[in-house]
Amino acid sequence: MTIKIYTTPTCVYCKMAKEYFKSHDLQYEEYDVTKDRSKLDEMVAKSHQMGVPVIDIDGTVMVGFDRDYIEQAVKSGSGK
Amino acid sequence: MYDLIIIGGGPGGVAAGVYADRKKLKTLLITDEFGGQSKVSDEIQNWIGTKSISGFDLSKSLEEHLRAQKEIEISDDDLALSVAKIDGGFEVNTRKGKKYQTKTILIVSGSHHKQLGVPGEDKFNGKGVAYCSTCDAPLFAGKEMAVAGGGNSALEAVVDLLPYATKVYLLVRSDKLKGDPVTQDQIKASGKVQIIFNAEVQEISGDAFVDGIKYLDKTSNSVRELLVGGIFVEIGSAPNSDFIKGMVDLNEYGYVVVDSKNQRTSTPGIWAAGDITDLPFRQNNISAGDSVKALLDLYNYLNGR
Repeated sequence: MTIKIYTTPTCVYCKMAKEYFKSHDLQYEEYDVTKDRSKLDEMVAKSHQMGVPVIDIDGTVMVGFDRDYIEQAVKSGSGK
Repeated sequence: MYDLIIIGGGPGGVAAGVYADRKKLKTLLITDEFGGQSKVSDEIQNWIGTKSISGFDLSKSLEEHLRAQKEIEISDDDLALSVAKIDGGFEVNTRKGKKYQTKTILIVSGSHHKQLGVPGEDKFNGKGVAYCSTCDAPLFAGKEMAVAGGGNSALEAVVDLLPYATKVYLLVRSDKLKGDPVTQDQIKASGKVQIIFNAEVQEISGDAFVDGIKYLDKTSNSVRELLVGGIFVEIGSAPNSDFIKGMVDLNEYGYVVVDSKNQRTSTPGIWAAGDITDLPFRQNNISAGDSVKALLDLYNYLNGR
């Protein structure tokens, strides 16, 4: 399972999502979209919008931090 | 049956929770998240006893303080959906499908972002229309931007945009700014901000993303257009009082009417404090203080005093 999170440095819900991943022993890759323009473009292309965080769990893309949604995506991704 | 159910996890809810535990009240606190609306603030400099703290750290410290109380029960990630009168008290239904019975209730559910309610706002939500400047301001680097509002949140959104946007139009409905003079000075000194008074946003337009807005210039009564890459909407707040409608008196704007001496609502057994109430000031410190006032009064009520 691959978890990608697109963030900005000041975004509270990004911090909450990262803390959630850490507390559940989930590995994630973080992209600070203020530092990497290509990742910003990738995030917008994936989510069709310009808000952070965007979380991509094995292709399931969600905007914002929603524990239930992450849980479901992790569960359905855990068999892969 | 609980002695008390606290609905809300901002500074008011936590303050009441700490006091309730010390009074040994059998208490449940229901909240969607901790910290209240200032959770997304970069920096809070007026939380008394703390020179400076981020909204995120304040929300964590509030949560920790509450969880340090031994007896209090917490249903987090949950939300009160409705309240009904039952024998000897009330029943609270929650988003998790639970029903809780209680003798008293303290409503500290706060308020949420008000929307402009203009064409294009929903369509472009997240596509140039934004409500969290600390989160999303950096995404608009190199663009000309608009901010709607004239209070502290609007001024802070401008400040958040200054390092990134090439220009910021601040659209103020009235003829003056209401936010703190310190922040007003900061944005005026930047040289990047054009403040437009008596401006009413009428439409947000674009293709895939926002490329412009229209506003009514009330001074000349003409509609003008600005080419901007996005707009942050910071026009104040609206109360989270839908779940309590019909149970307590609300004012015309939906805020819970309270007796400011003791925070009682129109319904015996229900108290309210903080941003949900009809008080004129919305502040973390006031929410905490008013909530403690409510708790002490409801403690007396439970003890028949």
